[in-house]
Amino acid sequence: MSIVKDVPSGTKPFKRAYVALFLWFTGRAIQAAAKVDREVRKEFEKLPDDFTFSLGCLPDGPWMVVGREKGVVKYLGGDSRGRPVQVRLAIKSLDAAFLILSFQESTALATARNRLITDGEIPQALAIIRILDIVEVYLLPKLIASLAVKRYPSWWPLGRKLGGRIGVYTRTLLGI
Amino acid sequence: MNSAAVFSFTCPVKINSGNRALEHLPFELAGLNASKPLVVVNAKAAGPKAVRTLLAAFGDSGMTPGLFEGVSEATDLGVVDHLKNLCLEKKYDAFIALGGGKAPDIAKVLNLAVSLKTPDARRLSPETPLRHRLMPLAVVPTEGADGLETSQIACVGRMVFSGERLAPALAVLDFRLAKGKSRIRTAATGLAALGRAAEAHIQADQNPFRKAYSFAALRFVRENLMDAVADPGNPKAALALMNAAAMSGCAFSNASAGRLHKLGQVFYEFLGIPQGVIMGMCLPRVLEDEFRQSSGDPAALLQPLAGDEAFARTPAEKRSGEALSALKQFLAALRGSLGKELPQNLREAGVSGFRREEVLDLLRKDEDGPYLCGVVEWMTDGDRERKG
Amino acid sequence: MLLPDYYEFCCRVKIVAGHDALEQIPDLLIERGAKKPLIVTDKGVAGAGLIDIVSRALGDRVHADLIADDVPPDSDLRVVNRLARLYRDSACDAILAVGGGSVMDTAKGINIVVSENAEDLMAFSGVGALKRPLKPLVAVPTTAGTGSEVTQVAVIKDHEKHLKMAFGSYFLLPDISILDSRMTLTMPPFITAMTGMDAMSHAVEAYYCLQKNPLSDAHSLAAAGMIYRYLPRVAGNPDDREGRLAMAVAACLAGIAFSNSMVGLVHNLGHATGSVCGVPHGLCMAILLPYGLEYNLHKRADTMGELLLPIAGGQVYLATPPEQRAEKVVSLIRGLNEELHAITGGRHARCLREITDREGKPSVPRDVLPQIAAAALLDGASIYNPEDTDYEDNLMILEAAWEGKPLDRSRVKKG
Repeated sequence: MSIVKDVPSGTKPFKRAYVALFLWFTGRAIQAAAKVDREVRKEFEKLPDDFTFSLGCLPDGPWMVVGREKGVVKYLGGDSRGRPVQVRLAIKSLDAAFLILSFQESTALATARNRLITDGEIPQALAIIRILDIVEVYLLPKLIASLAVKRYPSWWPLGRKLGGRIGVYTRTLLGI
Repeated sequence: MNSAAVFSFTCPVKINSGNRALEHLPFELAGLNASKPLVVVNAKAAGPKAVRTLLAAFGDSGMTPGLFEGVSEATDLGVVDHLKNLCLEKKYDAFIALGGGKAPDIAKVLNLAVSLKTPDARRLSPETPLRHRLMPLAVVPTEGADGLETSQIACVGRMVFSGERLAPALAVLDFRLAKGKSRIRTAATGLAALGRAAEAHIQADQNPFRKAYSFAALRFVRENLMDAVADPGNPKAALALMNAAAMSGCAFSNASAGRLHKLGQVFYEFLGIPQGVIMGMCLPRVLEDEFRQSSGDPAALLQPLAGDEAFARTPAEKRSGEALSALKQFLAALRGSLGKELPQNLREAGVSGFRREEVLDLLRKDEDGPYLCGVVEWMTDGDRERKG
Repeated sequence: MLLPDYYEFCCRVKIVAGHDALEQIPDLLIERGAKKPLIVTDKGVAGAGLIDIVSRALGDRVHADLIADDVPPDSDLRVVNRLARLYRDSACDAILAVGGGSVMDTAKGINIVVSENAEDLMAFSGVGALKRPLKPLVAVPTTAGTGSEVTQVAVIKDHEKHLKMAFGSYFLLPDISILDSRMTLTMPPFITAMTGMDAMSHAVEAYYCLQKNPLSDAHSLAAAGMIYRYLPRVAGNPDDREGRLAMAVAACLAGIAFSNSMVGLVHNLGHATGSVCGVPHGLCMAILLPYGLEYNLHKRADTMGELLLPIAGGQVYLATPPEQRAEKVVSLIRGLNEELHAITGGRHARCLREITDREGKPSVPRDVLPQIAAAALLDGASIYNPEDTDYEDNLMILEAAWEGKPLDRSRVKKG
């Protein structure tokens, strides 16, 4: 027997499933927020018409793809299906993705900790990060959202917070 | 700034430190164009848990690392040669040294042999020219690290290989591997970092780049060693010490080998005593002598070892003295905390007269021999205050 | 010393510094198997006689007669491709870049093309595209400021397609950086002042932005202290060799700090001001630095206060109560700008409205501030700033910096 043995790397089914589920949910929430929130809509309007971006982890997923089709923002599933992706936000490992998506680390902090890699034009990537921040504020209770974003927008009027949240949740769950 | 001569600094080591640092390894290796690393470890010293944790970090990466668990104090160039042949045959393209002590030494020399495709690794010597870049090497220290992991030296079979290209490309410091169980091993890590960082920090040739590393290392030791010794399982303190050790190795690679390093090294190579234990024993004595001979700048130790306020309060001409007393106080507190566990002299460290003579014989060959032998004599006795 | 939950630090550049550091280049090249470097520089550097100094220092142990001195002030893809052809046709085996940021960017671009045998540089943009060490690159900075001799990024502009391509990889780090006092001795006071403040902004922003870590901190502290001490000295006495070397070393330390810790608001607004109004980068940094500190002060007061010791020394540090140390740092940096304003006969502007063009016309009219505030939203540096910034925040800061009045901190939105 050789003194050196090869050790096949295992898998992480639980973390993978969590990350995949979360990405699916967030993808649908972005689609919903683009209809409900004026600021999200405005951010998307400034992006090109067939703009597509993806968020996921290296080396092989899971991924979430969101894009505009004829001006409408759509969650396009977990695979870019040959569509050109203009902005790719890649997390270095599944474990790092788990840290970010279970709100142990905010997006900004994860970027600052070199966990998140951005490919594509920087202005567009920044727009995506602003959109993700707003969506997180809608989806999460204040206590968790203030961990996930740099500055919790306590100055938002109650109407935007409450109305927006109900709208985003309903549409996310119904997928409209 | 003293700038009479040209000075240079280089640190090829990238440091990744903290939560889930190990899980970034596949990404880092891919970035270095490597996909099949060989893990080199002394499994007895590092423990099965460390090996499991490291290998689990490759989960979902699609990589299949190789594992050589058999490093020991006795591993020699013959083993390196055998490993080299296996590596060339199985096409490993990167090395990961897990743990401190011999594993990084062997990994560095193995990397040299494989990268140069040396026909017979037993013929490697410190004179072997190092003209080419080597393959990527990552070091992953565990409890008991002494800082030489990140350095550019490797000791195999009484030979000391040294060169910029031997240094690892990456050091991965992770909470899960930093946490330890042994108070004495934790103390040894801190003292080795303290010793080498202090020597690099005060050496006469000014080098602000080296000082950045030694400064951070010294601060971390001062702020964390007591906590880590009180509870070696304290992840934050243990990781900070691991950082200090890694930084001290980088600073050391850019300094001339100091007296503390030489003493720590010789006792470790000959008798297996952790380097930090020996360095802790002779730290105040050696630094005091440097102070008396004004060969370096011990005053520079005051800020990292006593803190900003104490440094600001002390007039420039008193800083050397204050730095030494801060150091002595720190070591006294450490001894107070560890009690009998930390040997105070060579007798308590279990060094017999016979073995001591062997060490002295070797030290005599050093250019600084008479001085180093004097320190060994001084360390032998129990009652150091009277003699010192 | 703060230990972040996670950090990365990397600077694989060999740094060689001294009054006659250039003389080391032949040995360093030969060690790396290179004998024929392509020297990349610009007309300004060559015109100031710096290439003559480099050539003399290189002697005849390496072939160093191939000099491309036409790098434009703004990096250009066409120039990169042309010089890459020159490199190949002349069978060069290393690149020696002598100059400021644009020369370094161009040299890094050439290195990608010649090392990867690429036809299209664009294929190598984006993270992770480079996987191998490139040809030996020796960087000789001629301004003590940008720190690009130790950064891993390069920005190359495709002027035909109006694209700005960013390249980032550890393999873009130069192999060697040479810091030699002769390279900055002829820099006039006004340029010395603003490039020095660029370095100061790297040191200070790196110390309080989100990616800070123990090693970037140690580099920042050393750099901030040296710059505060030596910058007025060399701005006032350009021939001060010791001071020049100290500034080169300090700018390099600051470069290492910020390329590992990144920068925030000051660079964010500074880049935007530069691109909208075409004003020098260093001047924007000098003016905006106090505002970056003030805007983030509620999140980072203790951290900022730690800068007081290296900057002002023990006596001032002790005399200032801990809760006032951050504000003291702000006022000392404003004071440094005042001092440089006096030394340069007023050319070192203290606020945005004082910046003028060659004809003396204001370069930043008040009515472009909204445009700058909007442009800043497109710049990546905002990610690393401790506090969030939106359009209104940017405008508020710019208005204060235009007037030259301290920021009204009660108006800063806190989450």
